[in-house]
Amino acid sequence: MPTPDAGVAPRRSTATGIGRALVATYAVFALAASARSAVQLLTKASEAPLAYALSAVAAVVYILATLGLAEVGPRPRALAWGAVGFELVGVLTVGTLTVLDPELFPDATVWSAYGQGYGYLPLVLPFLGIAWLLRTRPRG
Amino acid sequence: VIDPLQTILIVAALVLALVTGVYVALDRSPDRVLIALLALLEAGLVVQAVVGIAQVVDGSGDPTITFVGYLLAALVVLPLGLLWSLGEHSRGATAVLIVALVTVAFLVLRLVQIHADA
Repeated sequence: MPTPDAGVAPRRSTATGIGRALVATYAVFALAASARSAVQLLTKASEAPLAYALSAVAAVVYILATLGLAEVGPRPRALAWGAVGFELVGVLTVGTLTVLDPELFPDATVWSAYGQGYGYLPLVLPFLGIAWLLRTRPRG
Repeated sequence: VIDPLQTILIVAALVLALVTGVYVALDRSPDRVLIALLALLEAGLVVQAVVGIAQVVDGSGDPTITFVGYLLAALVVLPLGLLWSLGEHSRGATAVLIVALVTVAFLVLRLVQIHADA
């Protein structure tokens, strides 16, 4: 993939090697969160608007993280950092709130109870993403 | 949907995930044998989707959008995963298939659960 800074610094790809498996994992969550959000909004939007809005936000975050790590778009690394950072804050905030007050969101989201419904992968994933972005960061 | 088939699909997906793990450990890219086995699993998933949707149409299945969504999602995961995996020759690229196979096993398991709840 051509990049403007390719001649300046040795640039390391986030979409190759282990990164390919990471992108695949993010893509699965993008698909799962989008589908869940679409079903919730289409069939019962008025029941728990906050939880469903949050599901939609999570879906967008996973899509952006997938695209960033797969190096789609003009500034994929910045996109990936933004999305993965938001994801970490999101899962920690929503996870803590839902553990302290289970009534807050009447219906589950991907990030409820730190992603318990998904084998805690939503909690692990942002750390893997950040570790990978650090590992592949451009060296001057 | 159909009991023996879905159990076989889950077991087959997990066994294939382990086999793919051996490929990753040996640093081997997917070969014809592995791709043929994936195609066989995909054929089973197509049968599951056809039977499942037929059951919804004739009224004996679970008519929710979630159920049909899982049936269809299970169909696209392996082809997309294989495409993304074959784009590069590396351990990480082969490991993409493990992600896809575990996802398939999870989707079929959820289908069984949704059906049991209904």
